[in-house]
Amino acid sequence: MKRILLLSVIIAMFAACNSGTNNSKKSDDKKSVAITAAGATFPLPFYNMIFKKYSSESGTLVTYGGIGSGGGIRSLKDRLVDFGATDAFLSESKMKDLPAEIVHIPTCLGAVVIAYNLPGYDGIKLTPDLLAGIFMGEITKWNDAKIQANNKDLIMPNKQITVVYRSDGSGTTNIFSDYMSKISTEWASEIGVGKSLNWKTGIGAKGNPGVAGTIQATEGSVGYVGSEYAFEQNIQTALLKNAAGNYIKPSIQSISASAQGELPANTCIMLTNSSAVDAYPISGFTWLILYKEQNYNNRSFAQAEATLKLLDWVVSNEAQSSASKVNYAPLPEKAVKQAKEILRSVTFNGEVILK
Amino acid sequence: MSSATIQYNTRSDYRKRKNRLFYWLVIAMSAITVSPILLIVYKLIIQGYKQINWSFFTKVAPNTLEAMTANAQGEVIPGGILNGITGTFLIVVMAAIIAIPVGIMIGLFLYENQGKRFASIVRDISDILQGVPSIVLGLIAYMWVVKPVTHGFSALAGSVALAIMMLPLIIRSTEETMKMIPTSLKEAGLALGVPYYKVILRVLIPTGFSGLSTGILLAISRIIGETAPLMLTTLGSSAVNWDLTKPTSAIPLLVWEFYNDPNMANLIWSSSLFLMGFVLVLNIISKRIAAKQNR
Amino acid sequence: MKSDKIFKYLLFSASFLVIIVAAGMVFTLSSGAIPAFKEFGLKFIISNQWNPTEGRESYGALPFIAGTVITSVIALLLCIPLAFSTSLFIAEYFYKKRVAMFLSTMVDLLAGIPSIVYGLWGFYVLRPFIVELGLSPQGYGIFTASLILAIMIIPYATSLSSEIISMVPNDLKEAAYAMGATRLEVIFNVILPNARSGIFASFILAFGRALGETMAVTMLIGNSNIVPTGLFQTGNTMASVIANQFGEADGLKLSSLIAIGLILFVITGLINAIGKLIIKKLA
Repeated sequence: MKRILLLSVIIAMFAACNSGTNNSKKSDDKKSVAITAAGATFPLPFYNMIFKKYSSESGTLVTYGGIGSGGGIRSLKDRLVDFGATDAFLSESKMKDLPAEIVHIPTCLGAVVIAYNLPGYDGIKLTPDLLAGIFMGEITKWNDAKIQANNKDLIMPNKQITVVYRSDGSGTTNIFSDYMSKISTEWASEIGVGKSLNWKTGIGAKGNPGVAGTIQATEGSVGYVGSEYAFEQNIQTALLKNAAGNYIKPSIQSISASAQGELPANTCIMLTNSSAVDAYPISGFTWLILYKEQNYNNRSFAQAEATLKLLDWVVSNEAQSSASKVNYAPLPEKAVKQAKEILRSVTFNGEVILK
Repeated sequence: MSSATIQYNTRSDYRKRKNRLFYWLVIAMSAITVSPILLIVYKLIIQGYKQINWSFFTKVAPNTLEAMTANAQGEVIPGGILNGITGTFLIVVMAAIIAIPVGIMIGLFLYENQGKRFASIVRDISDILQGVPSIVLGLIAYMWVVKPVTHGFSALAGSVALAIMMLPLIIRSTEETMKMIPTSLKEAGLALGVPYYKVILRVLIPTGFSGLSTGILLAISRIIGETAPLMLTTLGSSAVNWDLTKPTSAIPLLVWEFYNDPNMANLIWSSSLFLMGFVLVLNIISKRIAAKQNR
Repeated sequence: MKSDKIFKYLLFSASFLVIIVAAGMVFTLSSGAIPAFKEFGLKFIISNQWNPTEGRESYGALPFIAGTVITSVIALLLCIPLAFSTSLFIAEYFYKKRVAMFLSTMVDLLAGIPSIVYGLWGFYVLRPFIVELGLSPQGYGIFTASLILAIMIIPYATSLSSEIISMVPNDLKEAAYAMGATRLEVIFNVILPNARSGIFASFILAFGRALGETMAVTMLIGNSNIVPTGLFQTGNTMASVIANQFGEADGLKLSSLIAIGLILFVITGLINAIGKLIIKKLA
């Protein structure tokens, strides 16, 4: 009994001693600046990879927690992190909830693919109307006349369609519903846009793995999956008809193509239903958000500078070139340029930090 | 079958048959209880053993590209879960330091004050706390520790959330264990003029050690695999961290990352296998200690 | 004695701490839940609407309350006979024998498996099994979730019960045997009355665990926000919806989720109280 008590006191002292000291050997010689961030799960694999690289090369430890865009926004609002990550940019009204002005920095692109399970029926083509009909429960069989008419080279099977959607709130659902609202007035009025929706039909599964796993286990099912996940799996994906009238297969190139249009100065734009010729219609940016004025809550200049240096690196060629290796589409040049401009508008006590 | 067709020679025959029947029923039910465990353990081992190697314990979590290339080449994913192991250790030890003394003290209090109003209220509250979803406790720790105390995500906040989860288990098992100890032991000590606290520490606790350690073990097993509260409190980390006031990784957090990453699914099973193995080791140690005490 | 007083005071303050923690939790949850109750009033509790569409937001807790209560009760009902039998096996029939040690270790292992792994195992193994049995087309649903919950809470009920049962004084049992009682009679007439309090406490612990379980349930219950009308229908529970939506929620939705957390608190208390009352009446 006494021994256990002694042991626990020793451990407590050990742990207490470590509070306030560095943990990374490399940053022993630098000032102990560590960067914390939280937010979206969609870019989690990509961020983990580049942040780890940055940590080991620059000596500044970067910690990112994939707790969800809402969690990221909340953490930034409570000023507990250096920046947040979100798949959906904040609207004017949402930005008012925050204690100070924020800026959005896009970091990469992803897409939502329509995955299905019909062995032997690869390359099914779907139009916006068909998508709306299927996901709203109006088209219930794969050999429905409308689907068959659009896929004349296949003989569609007489199977029930089972819709699979995300049960957890997610940016993937947000991009998907944004697209659906643009192409279907019925969807816009009945279901709308959001991170979680009031679905009329189907079953909910948790996370991309949940949806993909359910689709893979259920013949005749169809659902939407984030591209970063789908590209790694062997799932059948549908070709979608984009605004320019072409049937596009989701790929890094077709995702990047959707960002070729005009970008607003603050980069806050939904890229769905892009009119570019080769664009995959359900694509979108993901952003990092931080305060425009970095002197808050006793932040040091060193902390602000380190944060901005990191973000500058994230949009640089070095980090962006690794994106496609892990199935994320890199930012087009226009977006990189705009991101760098925005970063150079972030101030500390009114003075620009990055030159 | 009605009793008319079964010939019971005596009532005792009937009782003996009932006894026999119940015996086999208990065995059958116990077998049913064990089957899911065996199935789960089997699945974990089959899916997870390949990833368990030396670097599993000594390297930090790999990134998705490394996992992807390894998968493509049919190799074992490099890296390991060192940041998770150290993080879990730090958080769990801290939570135990908070919860075990407090829990045992409250259990003793309830034991000493059976039937009193205040004690019933405390007992009821402890039972209610058991039912709070772990994510709500994470939110509470976020409000109470992350925001005001550590001004950021920290291991300490995670420990607080987990400590609250441990409390009801330790409290209840302490109280019930103490109640099963014959009062004659306690009274003998008191009659000899031993101060009350000494009776508790030197007589009752050692006697009930087996029950107490069961409660503690159960509490640790409960929290060691929790993800949701840690997401809101310790956030995670790609490096090994021993600082209580900074974000830290933990094995369940890594499992969550592996779940969401298309390339790292294999690591889920091996991490769980590790957690299970750890619980097994704790279990064996506590049983050994209990056996020693009972000699 | 002075040291006695100090010690007793120490125990008292520790217990008071629990009350402060619980009160603090209720306070924090309530302040977070106020916007939801202001918007929907007490109808929130009985409304079965869950519409997150912006501009038309309307939230109600009924489907989740129903789902939580149904799955936890079924899980407990499934667990009680199994846990009771197993603890008898370990603590009475085969007490201290190798096979009992093995069984006890196996059961404790169950407690150490992370809930997300239960969810995954349920998804990859249990769900196809249910589909094969033809009970449900996709294998999701109340029954599957209850089943996994039952498995998860078995260690809580078994561990403590077996400890308690093993602590029943031997002289009581021997007295009964001396009078010619069979094992079965000793169990139900001597052990059970003596260990009743502890066994019941273990079931309360198990039940509490079931009410608050998040990850495993959320992967198997199908996540449809409706009040389930059949055993194999899909549904949702309070803990599951909080876990699913919390990361992305804000504003009214966040407040509704916190309100659901508060309601879970209250319901846990209510069910515990009812259970204790029933046991008192039966005694």
